[in-house]
Amino acid sequence: MKKLYKNVMIITVISSSLLFTACEDFLDLSPTNSIPSTVAITNKETANASIIGAYNSVQNYYSNYYITLGTITADNVSYNGTLSQYLQLDQNSVSPDNAGTVYVYQTIYAGINSANAIIAAIGSVNDPLFSEAEKNKILGEAYFIRALGYFDLARGWGGVQLQLNPTTDLGGLSGIKRSTLDQTYDQVLTDLTKAEELLPEDDATTRNRAQKNAARALKARLYLYREQWTEAETYASLVINSPKYTLVKPFNTFFTSPFLSAESVFELTFTSNDKNSYWNLWYPSTVGGQYTLKPSDALVAKLNDPNIGGTRNEIIQGSDNSVYGVLYNTVSTSTDPAYVIRIAELYLIRAEARIKKTTPDISGALSDLNKIRNRADIPNFDSSAKDAIIQAIEDENSIEFAFEPHRWFDLNRTKRTGSILGLTKTDYWLFPLPASDILSDPDVEQNPGY
Amino acid sequence: MNISDLFKCSHQFLYSKKLFYVFLGLLIFSTLELHSQTTIKGLVVDATTEEPVTGASVILKSTTNGTSTDVNGAFTLQVTKALPVTLSIRLIGYKSQEIDVYDAQEPAIIYLSEDLNLLDEVVITGYTSQQRRSVSGSITSLNLSEGIRETAVSGFDQLLQGKVPGVQILSNTGVPGGGTVFRVRGSNSINAGVDPLYIVDGIFISNSNPISTNMGGQTQSNPLSDINPSDIENITVLKDANATAIYGSLGANGVVIITTKRGKQNTKAKISLSLSHGWASAIKKFQSTTGPETAILANEAAYNTAIDRGQDLSTITVPIANPLSSPTYDRNSDLFRTAALSTYEISAQGGNSNSTYYVGLGYTKQESIVKPSDFERYSGRFNYDNNLTSKLKIGTSINLSQVYRNVSSNDNNPKGVINSAIFVRSYLPVYNEDGSFARYGSFDNHLALIDHLDNNAVTWRTIGNLFLEYNLLEELKFRSSWSLDNIDLTENNYEDTFISAGVSTNGAATSYKAKNSVYTAEQLLTYNKILKEKHALSVLLGNTINAVQEEYTRASGQGFATNDLKDISVAATKAGSASKAESRLLSFFGKISYTFNNRYTIDGNLRADASSKFGKNKRWGYFPSVGLTWDASQERFIQNINVFDALKFRGSFGYSGNQNGIGSYAALGLWSAGSNYLETAGTAPSQLANPDLTWETTRQFDLGFDFAILKNAISFSFDYYNKYTYDLLLNVPVPYRSGFTSFLQNYGAVRNSGVELGIQSANINKKDLKWTTEFNISWNKNKIEKLASDITLGASGRNASILREGYSINSFYLYKQLYVDPKTGNAVYEDVNKDEFITSADRQIVGNALPNYTGGLTNEITYKDFSLNLFVYFQQGNKILSMHDFFLVHGGTQNNIGFIPRQLERWQKAGDVTDIPRMTTYSGDPTINNGSANNYGGNVANMSSRYLSDGSFIRLKNLAISYNFPKSVIKSLQLSRLRATASVTNLFTLTKYKGLDPEVNAQSSSQNTYGYDWATVPQPRTIQFTLNAAF
Repeated sequence: MKKLYKNVMIITVISSSLLFTACEDFLDLSPTNSIPSTVAITNKETANASIIGAYNSVQNYYSNYYITLGTITADNVSYNGTLSQYLQLDQNSVSPDNAGTVYVYQTIYAGINSANAIIAAIGSVNDPLFSEAEKNKILGEAYFIRALGYFDLARGWGGVQLQLNPTTDLGGLSGIKRSTLDQTYDQVLTDLTKAEELLPEDDATTRNRAQKNAARALKARLYLYREQWTEAETYASLVINSPKYTLVKPFNTFFTSPFLSAESVFELTFTSNDKNSYWNLWYPSTVGGQYTLKPSDALVAKLNDPNIGGTRNEIIQGSDNSVYGVLYNTVSTSTDPAYVIRIAELYLIRAEARIKKTTPDISGALSDLNKIRNRADIPNFDSSAKDAIIQAIEDENSIEFAFEPHRWFDLNRTKRTGSILGLTKTDYWLFPLPASDILSDPDVEQNPGY
Repeated sequence: MNISDLFKCSHQFLYSKKLFYVFLGLLIFSTLELHSQTTIKGLVVDATTEEPVTGASVILKSTTNGTSTDVNGAFTLQVTKALPVTLSIRLIGYKSQEIDVYDAQEPAIIYLSEDLNLLDEVVITGYTSQQRRSVSGSITSLNLSEGIRETAVSGFDQLLQGKVPGVQILSNTGVPGGGTVFRVRGSNSINAGVDPLYIVDGIFISNSNPISTNMGGQTQSNPLSDINPSDIENITVLKDANATAIYGSLGANGVVIITTKRGKQNTKAKISLSLSHGWASAIKKFQSTTGPETAILANEAAYNTAIDRGQDLSTITVPIANPLSSPTYDRNSDLFRTAALSTYEISAQGGNSNSTYYVGLGYTKQESIVKPSDFERYSGRFNYDNNLTSKLKIGTSINLSQVYRNVSSNDNNPKGVINSAIFVRSYLPVYNEDGSFARYGSFDNHLALIDHLDNNAVTWRTIGNLFLEYNLLEELKFRSSWSLDNIDLTENNYEDTFISAGVSTNGAATSYKAKNSVYTAEQLLTYNKILKEKHALSVLLGNTINAVQEEYTRASGQGFATNDLKDISVAATKAGSASKAESRLLSFFGKISYTFNNRYTIDGNLRADASSKFGKNKRWGYFPSVGLTWDASQERFIQNINVFDALKFRGSFGYSGNQNGIGSYAALGLWSAGSNYLETAGTAPSQLANPDLTWETTRQFDLGFDFAILKNAISFSFDYYNKYTYDLLLNVPVPYRSGFTSFLQNYGAVRNSGVELGIQSANINKKDLKWTTEFNISWNKNKIEKLASDITLGASGRNASILREGYSINSFYLYKQLYVDPKTGNAVYEDVNKDEFITSADRQIVGNALPNYTGGLTNEITYKDFSLNLFVYFQQGNKILSMHDFFLVHGGTQNNIGFIPRQLERWQKAGDVTDIPRMTTYSGDPTINNGSANNYGGNVANMSSRYLSDGSFIRLKNLAISYNFPKSVIKSLQLSRLRATASVTNLFTLTKYKGLDPEVNAQSSSQNTYGYDWATVPQPRTIQFTLNAAF
């Protein structure tokens, strides 16, 4: 019996040491692909990483859906695929859970949240290696990204809820209602002004990170949208006058590798490690694509007309029923940039501002318009009637930026959507807010008509 | 995790300490009882087979002093009475016996003859076994008989379909080795896991699919098919809170305990051989409209659209000038084949006086009826036990398997094999004029895919443990088990330039290696004691430490000089990534069970778990449960009625937790790295912190009874349960303006309540003719009791499924089509908010994908050497959303997509009565009800209830005829047994569902998008011949 007791005790002691002891350390695990949000922006390295992350958000929505939202919705691009979110956009009957509009809305705000976090934290970063100039650069870029985000939201959805602080918990969200379109554009202007002030002066080569001219160019576009013609002209001129930019020739230079041509004011670069396979939506399956987005027959006709398209017919290939767009064309590498602002746009902004301002500057407007036409090897516009020039600028925009997100937004801002697209119900000129937000956010109101 | 981590712990827990002292007290108390004993040894064998009988209870008559026989049929009983004594021996399936023992020197040999009484059955109750008499939980135990096993399946879970009340099992697809849905008493959760815990020989195994190749929303594989069903002896499903409580945090979704075969002591080697071959074919195939029909439909759409637009009809050019002369190319038949199945197995089992062994080797290959998928498994199992001393036993259970899958993407993928065939318009040629593969729109060429898809996934699965059992005392056992479940996956996918995906890249290759490991260390003390002959006490105390590690490495390369080159090392451009995550769980548990006079049992469980996934504040969860049973058949007044051979009432109440399915670091506030730009590393906010994140808890109440009548010929089991799961681990949608899409928090509640019935009947029980029937049926009602806001999801962003408070999960959210106006031909939808417009506010819940009831009926008839097994499975009340109809009844809106014959039923002229509206692609005002914009596009965008249909079905799942060769033949062949079986699966199906197969779940990668049919491989009809021989 003694032996038995001894055995019992030995086993009991061994087992109890296993059984009844443990440690909290054993349960403290942390990931190796993320960092705690509490230390996300605390020194130079993390601050640099955070602004890169904010650019990445912009890349996310400009690599596909934002461009699609501004093109398939209008008359240059039509739907040719199987995915019904694109069909809805093409037919301009977009449901509140359309995968495209939802993705863009959500991703823009993710970028805004990154920017907000940087704006809130950068001032308190205490790192002797982190110079004031570097801080200002990052801060300026954050303001620029926030401005671009709110601008892209405003022209798609109207006035939106203005989040100006980073989200650390859900408590801070409540009570923020939708602003008006004007208030939203005011915020864009405020941010652009700060960005212009904080961003570094332009060097000769940087086009894929914001410098002062990128902020000015976006400001010119904002003033155009707000019909502040004089300011639009001023800011467009500021950019046009910079020696950094030229209208490249031939036309396909800017969308042929190497990218970042002198045409670019702001473009988002993709690399083989950070791919953009947007070409896939444009190319037919014979060449490996999905062919969801197809140049409309009317556009193809215009592009092939030497007096309308000129050399810009380089953005299409194929024949007959299988013409496809090749603005995004890096089939084997998937490295097409997103062309956010090209210098050509500034010329057309200025042309429109000049012709529409209180005392129209007809020769100035024609000069800008013809620069764009001549670059595409089309003759000068032959009328000096104001209305004809306005129409010519609208048409030029349509062809020049056929596969870039301009046409839909231009038609809406000039209230021409009804007459051009036959979409007379103005409610549908704005996208619906995501259904999920309508359900989860007591402060939000859906756009009328949805 | 280092194994040393398991020992590194330092802090002591008050709760556990207390239990320890209680336990120590019991220990001392029990040892005081030891005095002047006689030891009786004996052996219990089956009277007919003369094989040892395991688990028979041996009780000293008129006392409760007893024991049960071990795997060798042997028992040792200590008695304090003077000899002679009377022993009573009992076991379910056998008539009770009493023998008198006069001499303790001679081992007693007891022959038991067969009988049936359900309460005597020994069932596995989690860590231990118990007689059903005293089990308060709801437990279904299934011995995998040959009749069940000879069905053509790849995973053992499929064998349980329709056999276990309260468990719903459905194959997602007809691809062998594909995923299954396995729900015990309904879905408890929305974002946390809903799969049960699977335990193989005490090893917690992983059930998460490791394959990464995108299958278009389909779960890529069923990891349970890594285990050879033939190695399995018994499967036990623990359903209610008391039964699963011992598994606490892991048991909320039920526990499936798999016991594999082990040898028996002192038996000579039994070698079994099994050969099987079969053929599977499609019951129904995909259908397309013919070329002329397609052309007519396309022209009609163009014509109608012109009318809607008010265009001059004379200016219209229709898409196909001469529709009737359009050719027809049949792509659908190219997809299917008669698939071969073959299985070869050999096993050996036996044992000597100290040790037992089971060795099983198996090979199986099953082709999918849709090319080119297949499944091939090599499996090996080794189970070994050795009694080192009379007190110390060690053992091991090891499963090694290699599974090879040819993986082909289908379901929601335009480059999938099925999609490439069924979507393309049938008048378009398969080949170009130059003989190359023709492709249209988004779709690849189906023949190119069949011939050139090269997606291989190879899984190495190791499930093994080492255990030690030490009998500290007769009543007190210690068990220590150390186990590992390891999945090593290698995928090699290659896209050559014959398929669309390889055209653009000039050949692309991906290599993916994943490793999922589950480590478990388990320490267990069990104490069983019968006091004063009427008081049976059993205590269990244990601790487990569990770690789950997942990691992967992926490399990809693009651009190969020729199609013969496939190594990423020679690709033009290369990229790679790798990641890992780990979670850990620390648990303590205890169970006390007390039985008075063999009649009344009360038991209580308490489990404490801490998970590394949760916030520091709320890491620990405590899950208690209690159960009561009353064996009324022991009562004099019941015995006097003389109706019941067994009668038992039971009830249980308890809590269990859930932490599965959420991220390893779900409570932390995180910025994820990898948000890169310009080849520079970036970070971005990815997850909001929730330090209060804690266990999802299920509170379950279960009442049941079991009885047997007519000399045990009919037995009956009934259960009612009500499960309330609260503090759901819910991805609560947050306003996107926060920068986040959702926030994981404990919010919301789901209730599942239901009734389960099981009947077993021995209709005829004669020597030459036996007929047994088993029937079970279960009703489950699922309801979301609390939710922050509606959550819509499914159908690739089309959100055809919804989670809404007050409704069951897996509800469909569509526009309800009332009728097609016979005058206009336009669809009329229900205007829910009565505003006269059709807007998103008019979407509504129009049914759900969950069946009202499911069940099975098994009949087994044995006549002399023949036996017949018939198994029917049924389910009723579930809806299926046909995404085929959604895509292929598009009214002309999809230029690149053909039609299925249902489109031919469209409205054509005034007076037509049909549910398929007029063809048109008109996109005018999409808010007008009875306007042509909403026929196929518009606001409704084809998300119409007309594509939702009843998915109820009754199916003769298995029909098998077997013949046992007579002894004379066997002897001449020097065999101990020879059995031939012919079986047919899915011989016939009764259903209203018009798709290929009602047993389908195309969007299975999310548990909340159930009930979609979407280019899925249907369940095949399989004919199989099997030969079993034993030496």
